Amino acid sequence: MSTAAGGPAGGGISATNVAILGIVGGLAGIYLSTILNGITETTYFSFFGGIGAILAGVWGADAVRRVCSYGLGTGVPSIGMVALGMGIVAAIFGLALCYVLGIPVVLGPIIAIVVAAIIGFIMGTMANKILSMNIPIMERCMVEIAVAGCLVMIALCVTISGTLVFENSILNTDITILSSVIQTGFIALIFIGGAMIILHPFNACLGPDESQDRTLYVGVEKGGIIMAITGVASLVVIDVIPAMLTIVIGLLIWIIYFKKFINLTKRDAYKVIGTGLLPTEEELQ
Amino acid sequence: MTDFISLFDPISIILITIGGILIGLGVHFIPVGGAPAAMAQATGVGTGTVQLAAGAGLTGLISAGFMYSMLGNDGLSNIELVQVMLSGAVGAMIMISVTMFIGQLVYVYCVGVPPVSAKVDKDPITGDIQDIYVSKGTEGHGIPTVSFVSGVIGGLLGGMGGSLIYAILMNAGSPGPIESLLVGPSPATIALAGIFSAGVFYVNAVVASYNIGGTIEGFHDPKFKRVPKAVISCLIASLLCAMIAVPIMGGL
Repeated sequence: MSTAAGGPAGGGISATNVAILGIVGGLAGIYLSTILNGITETTYFSFFGGIGAILAGVWGADAVRRVCSYGLGTGVPSIGMVALGMGIVAAIFGLALCYVLGIPVVLGPIIAIVVAAIIGFIMGTMANKILSMNIPIMERCMVEIAVAGCLVMIALCVTISGTLVFENSILNTDITILSSVIQTGFIALIFIGGAMIILHPFNACLGPDESQDRTLYVGVEKGGIIMAITGVASLVVIDVIPAMLTIVIGLLIWIIYFKKFINLTKRDAYKVIGTGLLPTEEELQ
Repeated sequence: MTDFISLFDPISIILITIGGILIGLGVHFIPVGGAPAAMAQATGVGTGTVQLAAGAGLTGLISAGFMYSMLGNDGLSNIELVQVMLSGAVGAMIMISVTMFIGQLVYVYCVGVPPVSAKVDKDPITGDIQDIYVSKGTEGHGIPTVSFVSGVIGGLLGGMGGSLIYAILMNAGSPGPIESLLVGPSPATIALAGIFSAGVFYVNAVVASYNIGGTIEGFHDPKFKRVPKAVISCLIASLLCAMIAVPIMGGL
């Protein structure tokens, strides 16, 4: 099932620019929400985490798009799942290490990114050298996908819990990621949801007429849905108002970008015509 | 604060690596047809490796977790570890068998093709002639006996690997023997071990599926000879994941 097997994918925005957008946007989302929440001692700014997740996810979707345009032979979803598989291990390592070693939590995402990049590089090198997949950009894309997956995981965790603290000492009962995201099982939701932001855009748009902007709009739109769903999850964790903020902003992003995606589909299609309703039985006779 | 270096328990890391290798091996046994099989143009179940392996593996994880909650709350002895692994293996085998059986019903009664392999002339298990039943322009269809048996073996290996990783992570994360006798492992440990093993499972399943390049019929397929490469790759990948996961489970 080699999908659009062929050469490198072209497109308007260069790979480096998307990477900068993803890594800066993702980290900015995570830090804005936690720092603003910390300063104001509320959880109103948790939605920034969702926006960070969308930006990081779009970067991941672009990397998937570039590597999958060579044809993996296993379908696009596999690389999205491996992204989140590597991402989740690295993300939990980065966040939990701060608790185990007692270092400030703001370092957590940075440690997680570095670990994800190392895992991604080793996986990419292995795919090319041992499994002889011979995709020239495999190493770079695996690093990008792993880091994007890791950032999406952390950002969605922050959206649900509103904090970067992984675990407290025994007597402190503040909300933590361990108690609000992992113990409740929401981690499984954001595992699959995060993978959807990364793997679904190219899986939905692949083909000879695939274009970068249309694929990435699907990524943003998918991110909007996942953001709204994490908002629903955070209803039981943080207050109702911040959770509703996340849901409303997520739904707004979804509606706006779904409309943009439809417009681009009309632009790229040769012709769009309405077929009307299916004919009734009497009309057929 | 705990001493960080002492958290790198070598036995746990080695066992998790073995679990990862078992998963990678198991994927090679499962008859994956990919998109061609979805159109009954190749032998195997019509979906990707990752979906099949994840379906079976995560079911195995659930049955392993069930067995662990029966046996392992006061820490696992060796025989109990084997019991947890077998429970996971049985869960995964049931799941993959049901998937293949229902798929087979669809191929035979809905699509209307005979289950046949195009890679061998005679079924290595039943001795049935294969090549005359292959439709022209296809690479076989349905799930012949040899592929079914192979898939069940794949479920066994994958389920054992997944539950080994889960059990070892649970052991690494469980509190000392006296506390665990009283309260059992905390829900956070269970969730963390579950999600870590799912992550390691996905990484190994994808590495193995890259090795087979999309489709494989089972252990009789010529592509099965590529197994050593997958073993090396899964060893490196799961060693890496184990070295990250074990100290975190121990540290919490």
